[in-house]
Amino acid sequence: MGERPKRWDPGARNEAYAELEHPADLFVEVWGRDLPDLFENALFALYDQMAELEGFRIERAVTIEVSGPDPEETLRSLLSEALYRFATEGFVATRAELDVKAAPEGPVWVTAHLHGETIDRRRHTLLTEVKAVTYHRLTVERNPEGGWRATVLFDV
Amino acid sequence: MAAPDLNQISEYVWELPAAGGMRVPGRVFADRQLIQQVQSDQSLVQVANVAHLPGILRYSMAMPDIHFGYGFPIGGVAAFSLDEGVVSPGGVGYDINCGCRLLATDLQVDDVKPHIKRVVDRLFHDVPSGVGASGAIDRLSRKELEKVLVRGAAWAVEQGYGSTDDLEHTEDGGALPGADPGAVGERAYARGQDQVGTLGSGNHFLEIQTVDEVFDVEAAAAYGLREGQITVMVHCGSRGFGYQVCEDSLETMASASRRYGIELPDRQLACAPVTSPEGRGYLAAMACAANYAWANRQMIMHLTEQALLQALRLSPKDLGLRLVYDVAHNIAKLETHEVAGASVDACVHRKGATRAFGPGRPEVPAGYRETGQPVLIPGDMGTASFVCKGTHEAMAQTFGSTCHGAGRVMSRSQALKRAKGRSIDRELESAGVLVRSQGHKTLAEEMPEAYKDVERVVAVMNGAGISPRVVRLRPLGVVKG
Repeated sequence: MGERPKRWDPGARNEAYAELEHPADLFVEVWGRDLPDLFENALFALYDQMAELEGFRIERAVTIEVSGPDPEETLRSLLSEALYRFATEGFVATRAELDVKAAPEGPVWVTAHLHGETIDRRRHTLLTEVKAVTYHRLTVERNPEGGWRATVLFDV
Repeated sequence: MAAPDLNQISEYVWELPAAGGMRVPGRVFADRQLIQQVQSDQSLVQVANVAHLPGILRYSMAMPDIHFGYGFPIGGVAAFSLDEGVVSPGGVGYDINCGCRLLATDLQVDDVKPHIKRVVDRLFHDVPSGVGASGAIDRLSRKELEKVLVRGAAWAVEQGYGSTDDLEHTEDGGALPGADPGAVGERAYARGQDQVGTLGSGNHFLEIQTVDEVFDVEAAAAYGLREGQITVMVHCGSRGFGYQVCEDSLETMASASRRYGIELPDRQLACAPVTSPEGRGYLAAMACAANYAWANRQMIMHLTEQALLQALRLSPKDLGLRLVYDVAHNIAKLETHEVAGASVDACVHRKGATRAFGPGRPEVPAGYRETGQPVLIPGDMGTASFVCKGTHEAMAQTFGSTCHGAGRVMSRSQALKRAKGRSIDRELESAGVLVRSQGHKTLAEEMPEAYKDVERVVAVMNGAGISPRVVRLRPLGVVKG
């Protein structure tokens, strides 16, 4: 593993993801240099939409392991798992280290070490209640000019 | 994908002819302006996609508040025969039994208006709202939560939170039969333990309203409503419990669809035959979530009563709080309907649509049976909500269903852009609506102009004779998540 990742910077969200137009739900487009970077930015997008990340300290770590038959399913499972930990433990990450193994044209395994803090309603501001990570318009693709792109629809 | 062809059948009904793999035509209720809005997104394609599913009866339908969903459109109604048809979690949505509850009081607008700030502050304090809201009551044990899942609103009444009259005035008596706690995964239990009695976030709300216009004096009297009266409306659902039940079912349904050889134009339409083990399993888990939602709204009614008594310093007798009705607008149910002159058992999906049963149906409470079922249609927080009534026409045309609200017309991000530099709560206050919200972002996303004109949506279903208007309710104070 290379240099220790910095905590996510909400000021730099325009480089990680963008909100696309959708009449009711939260539809995002995410970018990454490679698959680990793409998955990490998708996690950032989820937490960034749920809470004001500036107020969170790094106090505990949570490890999530998921796998899926393709990058799409794997990405959805990863986000869904993070959402479950948010809903049941109030855990919000502000940085992550990801280990991604992908077989060509096949299954993907992800181990994500998430670093963050449990919500404290006196100090933290929560923004949007994400109900679920849907399968709808779920895409992960490699750009012809390099890098990766994903779209994810969150039910809110 | 190109928008499908659309033929106008009558003033308020538009048809998508069956084409390609569609088994039945699509039908959309709308006026000329609303249908233009509908054509601007992909929701008509979704109406057509639903028409591909096996065993669908008559039409894939959409109400005038239709907008783009995932799989099924929001505002969609689809009924499937029990022998050949399917059940689909995508036809219900994540917030299972999201619905609306209307409370009436013996107070008039002048009794409350001078104290509105105190009332709204008290409600905001006493009814937990916002992202991940919890802790209205002590964390429930596994055994207690199982009782909630089976008994629904009756569980709350047995705990002392309400009366048996409330159950009589709740769709399905506040508990769907067939709920099996064993059909629910562990994760749903984990998410559901501490959220009974919480409002949540997004478009959910609790509103103090007044009856500002009566359209149907007789029906209003039957429902116990009169001009100038104070009412309270609650809009929320099954919270994290329901979201998780939906989530868990989608995986099962994806493999079931493949096993039963059901061709899906969209993966979020995953489904299984109603009578298959997977179909029954979903309905048993969905019923648990539906019952959770009814217990939740029953509990919120109790918290509301306590808050109003305190804020207004009244006795329960002077407040006179009672339940007018409680309806689900995200649900799938086994119902009997007349199709081509024969009585047919069907699995009716309503996703962002409200049941609107007509006079005489045994499901309608005795006191309302001659009038038809009360239909509650919440609008945006600055405008109005409506009470309508179910009709024979609804039974004949829409499997006893109608619209569920205004429906969004602007995306959340567009709304945030529009709200920039403005103070939505101050704007609402100067329009006579006092709002308390956990977050300014939700408030901006939910601003009135982000929604279709509820008057127009309701006028379509009124004009089509499906659910005529009974009264209009104006908001005075709103608690938002």
